[in-house]
Amino acid sequence: MLMADVLDAFQLPFVQRALVEVLLLSVAAGALGTWIVLRGLAFYAHGVAAAAFPGLVLADGLGFSPPLGAFGVALLFALLVGRLSARGRSGHDSLTALVLVGALAVGIVLASDVFHSAANVETLLFGSLLAVGPGEIRLAAVVAVLAALATYLLGRRWLAVGFDAGAARALGVRSPAADAVLLVLIALAAVATLSAVGALLSTALLVVPAATVRLGTRRMTPWQLGTVALTAFEGTAGLWLSFQTNAPPGATIAVIAGGVFVLAATARVSAGPLRRLLGDDAAPVAAAATLRGGR
Amino acid sequence: MSALVEARGLAVGYGAAPVLGDVDFALEAGERVGVLGPNGGGKTTLFRALLGELRPLAGELTVAGRCGTVPQTERSRLDFPVSALDVALMGTIAGRPWWRRPGRAERRTARAALGRVGLEQLAERTFGELSGGQRQRVLVARALVQEARIVLLDEPFTGLDAASAERLEALLDELASEGRGILIATHDVDQARAWDRVLCLNRRQIAFGPPAETLTREVLAATYGGAIVTLPAEDGREALALLPPHHCDHEHSA
Repeated sequence: MLMADVLDAFQLPFVQRALVEVLLLSVAAGALGTWIVLRGLAFYAHGVAAAAFPGLVLADGLGFSPPLGAFGVALLFALLVGRLSARGRSGHDSLTALVLVGALAVGIVLASDVFHSAANVETLLFGSLLAVGPGEIRLAAVVAVLAALATYLLGRRWLAVGFDAGAARALGVRSPAADAVLLVLIALAAVATLSAVGALLSTALLVVPAATVRLGTRRMTPWQLGTVALTAFEGTAGLWLSFQTNAPPGATIAVIAGGVFVLAATARVSAGPLRRLLGDDAAPVAAAATLRGGR
Repeated sequence: MSALVEARGLAVGYGAAPVLGDVDFALEAGERVGVLGPNGGGKTTLFRALLGELRPLAGELTVAGRCGTVPQTERSRLDFPVSALDVALMGTIAGRPWWRRPGRAERRTARAALGRVGLEQLAERTFGELSGGQRQRVLVARALVQEARIVLLDEPFTGLDAASAERLEALLDELASEGRGILIATHDVDQARAWDRVLCLNRRQIAFGPPAETLTREVLAATYGGAIVTLPAEDGREALALLPPHHCDHEHSA
């Protein structure tokens, strides 16, 4: 295929808008995705995006700004989870699951029986990247700037608390504010991804690329830069492929992201035996010696 | 001279009921205090109270100085994308406003602390790739960067080979000689005999004092419950031995 064919699709204004949206979201997802993976917040990220769904339905039905409705509900969810985790209660995973199911159910009931907007449900759940407008792009830009800024300013604290939560207070991270900012930013980023990939697929941008790059990096900065680049690549590729095949863009991006993760994980798993085969890895020998030396 | 840590009638716990009570002890500057007790005896709970994670349910706890902590190794920590230098730099958070990132001065301090624990060459190495003893020393370096006057170590000698353990022990002696107070949770009663005082915990304080007077058979029996046996010794003195916890729980098949 000629490069000109590939570029052809990006001549169209609505595809260009979608591309800008995807690239802005890559910055937000690259900065926040690494923290989501590092701090074990993947399920929270999925939950907060799903929780935004009834907010979207309400906004759609009552005629106010959808991001506002989504963010209102997502913020409520973030504060609830933040409060519970600050109290050190275990099991907020099950709470996330409960709220997630409840939110989806309420959203569906509202859409089908209250506002009779069932036709929009699919768009709300899986996004409509090719239909984004200036409002959505502005939101993505704001979130990208906030995410990069917060990472720059608060990253060291997020890292220290994740590394050793027990020592956080002694190290001088006395207030839970830094972690609350992280939870709220993730909620905001989840809302921003709704227009592109929808409530159910937002982790395709927020979690999967960061988890993929994590397999091959050992430091925060290369991990973050790599995640921004991979998200941008997967988003652009998904956008182009969906344009060519007429498949929904959100799902196409999710499939590409999942596929790249599987490839990266397979490469990493098979790298170990390969090194052993080549004989330049003493680790298995040492491990065997430890096993023999043990009881 | 006032104590670095002072507990009076202290009770701590996670809900309303204390898991550790009747704690009365003081940690003076320059002292190494061994904290002995069975698993679940309250060693970690006491440390969490000292770190400000748990509030006293009763009594008083005075902590006069910053606490540095060397926690036990957790699997998740070994996966963390941080270098030894990054970990040492975590000690600088308290010293600067939230909007400032660590600058050149902070990096110098962190490198100097790694140098003091003998790890300057490994500053850029990933934390999880270091040996057990080296990881403990990186965490000691973090406490040094914090300018911690009190250093808490949770089972720091577990899993270390003899050479690493000796090196860590020498480092702790050095920290104490600078006037820091060192609290070391351990299972090794013999090792604790070399320190200045011992604090024996089993859901409450059993005893506190210099090891020679404190570590009597009665105290050890009360501290460790049934997991203690007397061994006949060749020089006429009897030796006490602790059974590792799992020997009490189940039989091993060969």
